[in-house]
Amino acid sequence: MATLLAASLPGVVAAQPKLLEPERAFAFSVQALDDKTVEARFAIADGYYLYREKLRLTVEPTALVEVPMLPAGKIKDDEFFGRVETYRGRVAVKLSLDKPEPGQKVTVRAESQGCADAGVCYPPQVQNLTVALPAAGTRPGPPVEATPARKSWFN
Amino acid sequence: MTTARRWLPWFALAAAGLLALAAGIYFGGNTWDRTSDDARGKDAGVLFGVALPDATGQEQSLGQWKGKVVVVNFWATWCTPCRDEMPEFVKVQRELGGRGLQFVGIAIDQPDKVQEFSAEIGLNYPALIGGYGAMELSKALGNRLGALPFTVVVDRSGRVVHTQLGPLREPSLRAIINQLL
Repeated sequence: MATLLAASLPGVVAAQPKLLEPERAFAFSVQALDDKTVEARFAIADGYYLYREKLRLTVEPTALVEVPMLPAGKIKDDEFFGRVETYRGRVAVKLSLDKPEPGQKVTVRAESQGCADAGVCYPPQVQNLTVALPAAGTRPGPPVEATPARKSWFN
Repeated sequence: MTTARRWLPWFALAAAGLLALAAGIYFGGNTWDRTSDDARGKDAGVLFGVALPDATGQEQSLGQWKGKVVVVNFWATWCTPCRDEMPEFVKVQRELGGRGLQFVGIAIDQPDKVQEFSAEIGLNYPALIGGYGAMELSKALGNRLGALPFTVVVDRSGRVVHTQLGPLREPSLRAIINQLL
């Protein structure tokens, strides 16, 4: 049995915990809620977290009425950075647009940085999503996802 | 002989075979795409052909360390688990440097931050600085996700023998290195 195992092990050992691609660990989506509001969301997988301080949301081509209000995060005692605020699970940020054109397409750009509890950190991620604003008084647009959910045998 | 007893050896063999296959798939994850020994040697060649500046801006070719047992650690000051493991690397470098061990850090980071942290922990091995290119290098070496820390161990003959995504703590590190020195 031992020889059977040894024979199947290649010369190189690759130790790699089961980790998600950052786009799936920190799934970004945007929804136009009305004619002048879009909401940016992250669905953060279990065992992963984002740093609140590193989250930046900007919109083009329309300006924002105010700086986005980021919700409070969970306080985490980081060995080197001290007390940091992190996001886990779901986080949503409303973005109020300044005098957008009716039916305008806006692009939301999210800069984020996160880590896994398993002990790895991902470099800063930049993601862009474009949504069309619905007409005033009509229903919210459909949510647009950066990474459509997909099932893989390997995950 | 009862029916069960006759088939037992075959079941055992099948189970062992499946286990071996599973182990091969699990451990061979990084080499899934490789088909020959040439690929392994080639990966180390990729590494030794690289030149990166150190924190003072001086270009350092990784080829200068060929022939040693080289532990290349991709890290960043913004990565807490990376910072966490480095004091242990310093310790092991101090102990085993004389026997041909060479740690090389490649920071996906800014020189001033790297210098500051290096001074803080008394870094006793080279800290090279890279950006996007260095991250692409780590991907070429098997860092599929582009996450940190990512560590590659190269033996004296220039072959990559171990890669690790995530922390590489002292006991595991020593176990790997001792076989190569």
